[in-house]
Amino acid sequence: MYWGSLIVAGLFEMIGVLMINIYHQRKSWGALALLILSFSLSFALLSFSMKVLPMGTAYAVWTGIGAAGSAVIGIIWFKERANAIRILMIATIITATIGLKLIAS
Amino acid sequence: MQKAWLQVFIGAFFEVIWVIGLKHASHYIEWAGTIVAIFISFYLLIKAGETLPVGTSYAVFVGLGTAGTVVSDIVFFGEPFSFLRIGFIAFLLIGVIGLKLVTEERGEA
Repeated sequence: MYWGSLIVAGLFEMIGVLMINIYHQRKSWGALALLILSFSLSFALLSFSMKVLPMGTAYAVWTGIGAAGSAVIGIIWFKERANAIRILMIATIITATIGLKLIAS
Repeated sequence: MQKAWLQVFIGAFFEVIWVIGLKHASHYIEWAGTIVAIFISFYLLIKAGETLPVGTSYAVFVGLGTAGTVVSDIVFFGEPFSFLRIGFIAFLLIGVIGLKLVTEERGEA
Protein backbone atom coordinates (compact mmCIF):
# COMPACT_ATOMS: atom_id res chain seq x y z
CA MET A 1 0.00 0.00 0.00
CA TYR A 2 2.89 2.37 0.74
CA TRP A 3 4.43 1.63 -2.65
CA GLY A 4 1.05 2.10 -4.34
CA SER A 5 0.66 5.42 -2.59
CA LEU A 6 4.17 6.48 -3.70
CA ILE A 7 3.47 5.63 -7.34
CA VAL A 8 0.16 7.53 -7.32
CA ALA A 9 2.02 10.46 -5.67
CA GLY A 10 4.45 10.44 -8.63
CA LEU A 11 1.54 10.37 -11.09
CA PHE A 12 -0.11 13.37 -9.40
CA GLU A 13 3.21 15.22 -9.58
CA MET A 14 3.26 14.51 -13.30
CA ILE A 15 -0.30 15.87 -13.66
CA GLY A 16 0.70 18.91 -11.60
CA VAL A 17 3.61 19.67 -13.94
CA LEU A 18 1.30 19.20 -16.94
CA MET A 19 -1.15 21.69 -15.39
CA ILE A 20 1.68 24.23 -14.94
CA ASN A 21 2.34 24.00 -18.69
CA ILE A 22 -1.36 24.27 -19.54
CA TYR A 23 -1.75 27.21 -17.15
CA HIS A 24 1.19 28.97 -18.84
CA GLN A 25 -0.53 28.58 -22.22
CA ARG A 26 -3.96 29.78 -21.17
CA LYS A 27 -4.56 31.22 -17.72
CA SER A 28 -7.66 29.19 -16.85
CA TRP A 29 -9.00 28.78 -13.31
CA GLY A 30 -9.63 25.11 -14.00
CA ALA A 31 -5.96 24.45 -14.72
CA LEU A 32 -4.92 26.41 -11.64
CA ALA A 33 -7.37 24.48 -9.43
CA LEU A 34 -6.17 21.14 -10.84
CA LEU A 35 -2.55 22.26 -10.37
CA ILE A 36 -3.09 23.00 -6.66
CA LEU A 37 -5.16 19.85 -6.15
CA SER A 38 -2.61 17.60 -7.90
CA PHE A 39 0.38 18.89 -5.96
CA SER A 40 -1.52 18.76 -2.63
CA LEU A 41 -2.51 15.14 -3.24
CA SER A 42 0.99 14.32 -4.45
CA PHE A 43 2.66 15.68 -1.29
CA ALA A 44 0.07 14.04 0.99
CA LEU A 45 0.57 10.63 -0.66
CA LEU A 46 4.37 11.02 -0.66
CA SER A 47 4.22 11.83 3.04
CA PHE A 48 2.04 8.75 3.67
CA SER A 49 4.42 6.45 1.76
CA MET A 50 7.34 7.72 3.87
CA LYS A 51 5.71 6.40 7.03
CA VAL A 52 7.43 3.18 6.01
CA LEU A 53 9.83 3.88 3.11
CA PRO A 54 13.20 5.64 3.57
CA MET A 55 13.25 9.27 2.38
CA GLY A 56 15.93 8.68 -0.26
CA THR A 57 14.01 5.81 -1.86
CA ALA A 58 10.66 7.62 -1.78
CA TYR A 59 12.04 10.92 -3.08
CA ALA A 60 13.97 9.27 -5.94
CA VAL A 61 10.96 7.20 -7.08
CA TRP A 62 8.66 10.23 -6.78
CA THR A 63 10.88 12.44 -9.00
CA GLY A 64 11.51 9.46 -11.31
CA ILE A 65 7.82 8.81 -11.99
CA GLY A 66 7.25 12.55 -12.45
CA ALA A 67 10.07 12.80 -15.02
CA ALA A 68 9.30 9.54 -16.86
CA GLY A 69 5.56 10.30 -16.87
CA SER A 70 6.12 13.80 -18.23
CA ALA A 71 8.30 12.37 -21.01
CA VAL A 72 5.61 9.80 -21.91
CA ILE A 73 2.94 12.53 -21.96
CA GLY A 74 5.23 14.65 -24.15
CA ILE A 75 5.67 11.80 -26.62
CA ILE A 76 2.05 10.65 -26.75
CA TRP A 77 0.19 13.90 -26.30
CA PHE A 78 2.45 16.68 -27.54
CA LYS A 79 4.00 14.62 -30.33
CA GLU A 80 7.57 15.06 -29.10
CA ARG A 81 9.99 12.71 -30.82
CA ALA A 82 10.47 9.38 -29.04
CA ASN A 83 14.19 9.06 -29.65
CA ALA A 84 16.23 6.10 -28.41
CA ILE A 85 17.90 7.98 -25.54
CA ARG A 86 14.56 9.09 -24.09
CA ILE A 87 13.14 5.55 -24.24
CA LEU A 88 16.36 4.23 -22.64
CA MET A 89 16.14 6.80 -19.81
CA ILE A 90 12.48 5.96 -19.16
CA ALA A 91 13.40 2.26 -19.06
CA THR A 92 16.25 3.06 -16.64
CA ILE A 93 13.83 4.82 -14.27
CA ILE A 94 11.31 1.96 -14.41
CA THR A 95 14.03 -0.68 -13.88
CA ALA A 96 15.52 1.17 -10.91
CA THR A 97 12.07 1.65 -9.36
CA ILE A 98 11.32 -2.07 -9.65
CA GLY A 99 14.75 -2.83 -8.18
CA LEU A 100 14.12 -0.58 -5.20
CA LYS A 101 10.72 -2.21 -4.66
CA LEU A 102 12.22 -5.71 -4.81
CA ILE A 103 15.02 -5.05 -2.32
CA ALA A 104 12.58 -3.27 0.04
CA SER A 105 10.30 -6.25 0.48
CA MET B 1 25.12 33.40 -13.27
CA GLN B 2 26.85 32.77 -9.95
CA LYS B 3 23.77 34.01 -8.10
CA ALA B 4 21.60 31.60 -10.08
CA TRP B 5 23.78 28.63 -9.08
CA LEU B 6 23.55 29.77 -5.47
CA GLN B 7 19.75 29.70 -5.91
CA VAL B 8 20.00 26.11 -7.18
CA PHE B 9 22.10 25.04 -4.15
CA ILE B 10 19.92 26.80 -1.57
CA GLY B 11 16.81 25.52 -3.35
CA ALA B 12 18.10 21.95 -3.12
CA PHE B 13 18.80 22.48 0.59
CA PHE B 14 15.16 23.48 1.14
CA GLU B 15 14.09 20.53 -1.00
CA VAL B 16 15.81 18.20 1.49
CA ILE B 17 14.20 20.12 4.38
CA TRP B 18 10.67 19.59 3.08
CA VAL B 19 11.29 15.91 2.34
CA ILE B 20 12.48 15.47 5.95
CA GLY B 21 9.41 17.43 7.06
CA LEU B 22 6.99 15.24 5.10
CA LYS B 23 8.40 12.17 6.85
CA HIS B 24 9.14 13.45 10.33
CA ALA B 25 6.93 16.50 11.06
CA SER B 26 4.61 15.89 14.01
CA HIS B 27 3.71 19.34 15.30
CA TYR B 28 1.69 21.87 13.30
CA ILE B 29 4.60 24.34 13.39
CA GLU B 30 6.79 21.69 11.75
CA TRP B 31 4.10 21.09 9.10
CA ALA B 32 3.90 24.84 8.45
CA GLY B 33 7.71 24.94 8.09
CA THR B 34 7.53 22.02 5.65
CA ILE B 35 5.00 23.84 3.44
CA VAL B 36 7.12 27.03 3.54
CA ALA B 37 10.19 24.97 2.53
CA ILE B 38 8.24 23.52 -0.46
CA PHE B 39 7.45 27.04 -1.69
CA ILE B 40 11.01 28.31 -1.12
CA SER B 41 12.62 25.39 -2.99
CA PHE B 42 10.21 25.69 -5.96
CA TYR B 43 10.60 29.47 -6.05
CA LEU B 44 14.41 29.30 -6.09
CA LEU B 45 14.43 26.60 -8.80
CA ILE B 46 12.10 28.69 -11.00
CA LYS B 47 14.21 31.83 -10.35
CA ALA B 48 17.43 30.00 -11.26
CA GLY B 49 15.74 28.76 -14.45
CA GLU B 50 15.34 32.36 -15.61
CA THR B 51 19.14 32.64 -15.89
CA LEU B 52 20.43 29.08 -16.27
CA PRO B 53 19.31 26.47 -18.81
CA VAL B 54 16.26 24.82 -17.16
CA GLY B 55 17.33 21.22 -17.86
CA THR B 56 20.81 21.75 -16.41
CA SER B 57 19.66 23.59 -13.30
CA TYR B 58 16.94 20.98 -12.66
CA ALA B 59 19.43 18.14 -13.13
CA VAL B 60 21.82 19.60 -10.53
CA PHE B 61 18.90 20.45 -8.23
CA VAL B 62 17.39 16.97 -8.26
CA GLY B 63 20.83 15.36 -7.94
CA LEU B 64 21.62 17.39 -4.83
CA GLY B 65 18.12 16.81 -3.46
CA THR B 66 18.42 13.05 -3.86
CA ALA B 67 21.93 12.90 -2.40
CA GLY B 68 20.80 15.10 0.51
CA THR B 69 17.82 12.90 1.37
CA VAL B 70 19.87 9.68 1.15
CA VAL B 71 22.62 11.11 3.38
CA SER B 72 20.03 12.51 5.85
CA ASP B 73 18.38 9.07 6.04
CA ILE B 74 21.66 7.49 7.09
CA VAL B 75 23.30 10.27 9.15
CA PHE B 76 20.32 11.71 11.05
CA PHE B 77 17.69 8.97 11.08
CA GLY B 78 19.66 5.73 11.43
CA GLU B 79 18.67 4.18 8.11
CA PRO B 80 21.13 1.29 7.47
CA PHE B 81 23.67 1.86 4.69
CA SER B 82 22.86 -0.36 1.73
CA PHE B 83 25.02 -0.43 -1.40
CA LEU B 84 22.20 -2.03 -3.37
CA ARG B 85 19.67 0.65 -2.39
CA ILE B 86 22.06 3.52 -3.09
CA GLY B 87 23.07 1.85 -6.36
CA PHE B 88 19.45 1.67 -7.56
CA ILE B 89 18.83 5.28 -6.47
CA ALA B 90 21.93 6.40 -8.44
CA PHE B 91 20.70 4.39 -11.44
CA LEU B 92 17.28 6.03 -11.20
CA LEU B 93 18.92 9.45 -10.95
CA ILE B 94 20.80 8.80 -14.21
CA GLY B 95 17.42 8.28 -15.87
CA VAL B 96 15.91 11.49 -14.45
CA ILE B 97 18.95 13.67 -15.22
CA GLY B 98 19.35 12.06 -18.67
CA LEU B 99 15.73 12.84 -19.57
CA LYS B 100 16.06 16.47 -18.46
CA LEU B 101 19.28 17.02 -20.39
CA VAL B 102 17.96 15.34 -23.55
CA THR B 103 14.80 17.46 -23.40
CA GLU B 104 16.89 20.60 -23.09
CA GLU B 105 19.12 19.66 -26.00
CA ARG B 106 16.05 19.72 -28.18
CA GLY B 107 15.21 23.19 -26.94
CA GLU B 108 11.90 22.59 -25.29
CA ALA B 109 12.75 22.28 -21.62
